[in-house]
Amino acid sequence: MKYVDEYRDAELGQVLAGEILATVEPGRHYKIMEVCGGHTHSIYKYGIDDLLPTNVELVHGPGCPVCVIPMGRVDDGIAVAREPGVILTCFGDMMRIPGSDGSFLDAKAEGADIRMVYSPLDALRIARENPDREVVFYAIGFETTAPSTALTLMRAKAEGIPNFTCMCSHVTIVPPLRALLDSPDLRLDGFIGPGHVSTVVGARPFEFIPSSYGKPLVVSGFEPLDVLQSIHMILRQLSDDRCEVENQYGRVVPYEGNTRALEVLSEVFELRPHFEWRGLGFISQSALKLSEAYADFDAERRFEVPGVRVADPKACQCGEVLKGVIKPWECKVFGTACTPERPIGTCMVSPEGACAAYYNYGRFAREREVV
Amino acid sequence: MIESPPRAEHGVPDCLPEVGCITCGDEGVEMRALKVDAGSGLAVCVDPAGSTSEVDLGIVAAVEPGDALLVHAGVALTRLGSKVTA
Repeated sequence: MKYVDEYRDAELGQVLAGEILATVEPGRHYKIMEVCGGHTHSIYKYGIDDLLPTNVELVHGPGCPVCVIPMGRVDDGIAVAREPGVILTCFGDMMRIPGSDGSFLDAKAEGADIRMVYSPLDALRIARENPDREVVFYAIGFETTAPSTALTLMRAKAEGIPNFTCMCSHVTIVPPLRALLDSPDLRLDGFIGPGHVSTVVGARPFEFIPSSYGKPLVVSGFEPLDVLQSIHMILRQLSDDRCEVENQYGRVVPYEGNTRALEVLSEVFELRPHFEWRGLGFISQSALKLSEAYADFDAERRFEVPGVRVADPKACQCGEVLKGVIKPWECKVFGTACTPERPIGTCMVSPEGACAAYYNYGRFAREREVV
Repeated sequence: MIESPPRAEHGVPDCLPEVGCITCGDEGVEMRALKVDAGSGLAVCVDPAGSTSEVDLGIVAAVEPGDALLVHAGVALTRLGSKVTA
């Protein structure tokens, strides 16, 4: 298949692995964070870390939009789903995220009408087909997914569909990166930048990372050769004593982003003053809510939402995993009390989550030897 | 508006560990436009596995049948090229 096969060539992968080996300095330890959960998944699916020298360590960042949803927001969704006449719709991953008293899936089993959809358009279709019901779309995701929600809300407004609302938990990528970089317990050498977020926002918003924090960032595609090449580009920058934003994923990502998508986002959404991220706490201006122009479609205005903050389970160390402070297998409950079948923390729920990726691809019993 | 084939709830792609979650992760899937309705801004697209779905074209330039698109959560993020066989 075009655009895929040429980026999975094993021989080219070996060549890149050799170039990476030739670039690293013996005795120097490199920590590179992949921001995006999609990259985490690719790294373990294709065994990319096995091709790297042992002194190149990949750290998994907060880029899974499911993993960063705090328990209180899950509880809020369940409360809305239990309102009479409500159909709550959401993406598949949200179904198993644990709240303080169960997940969406548990609430569905107890009688709430919660339906999994593939896109917000499906949720809108359900609203058209059920005019006597209130259909709520529980929106999650970074800037990649937010345009999908925004376009659907614009469509709902244009069609005058009164029984469709959105419970918005969309988050933005730059503020948590800044929070991570300000974290005293984190030491990183560079970043693999998010690929598909950048199709929307472009590469320019990441320029503060080299300019203010002195770390290189390479926007990367998701195929194995994409990720290997991006790692090589970061190591080359470090070797050359350069520090800049580079775009490995130029076949998809324009450096300036998608202007139309950014216009759509600014029409439908505005920034929340604060939003809680699981494991990272409250981060200023890191999430979206519906703008005044779309207030009629805001589920948080139409329904009673508890809005109660719930602390993460004490045994769960998702926060440290999301910050890259510990590896998934170093969590006290990893693979024992916390598994993909019975997750305690959100990093184990989504396949994009670092813990689930490690668990599903058999990395849980192994620690890389660090030289 | 283009009528896309109805999708049973059980037919919605699940978040499977071996394929990842293309819906809510930061991932896109290459799809090919089959039918385009410029009026509604929607297209029926087919993915490499042969499944069809309705795709919003609201943030990409004019799309024609046969165009390859990078699709995420029901929205075309960008055009990958033209007349590509998926």
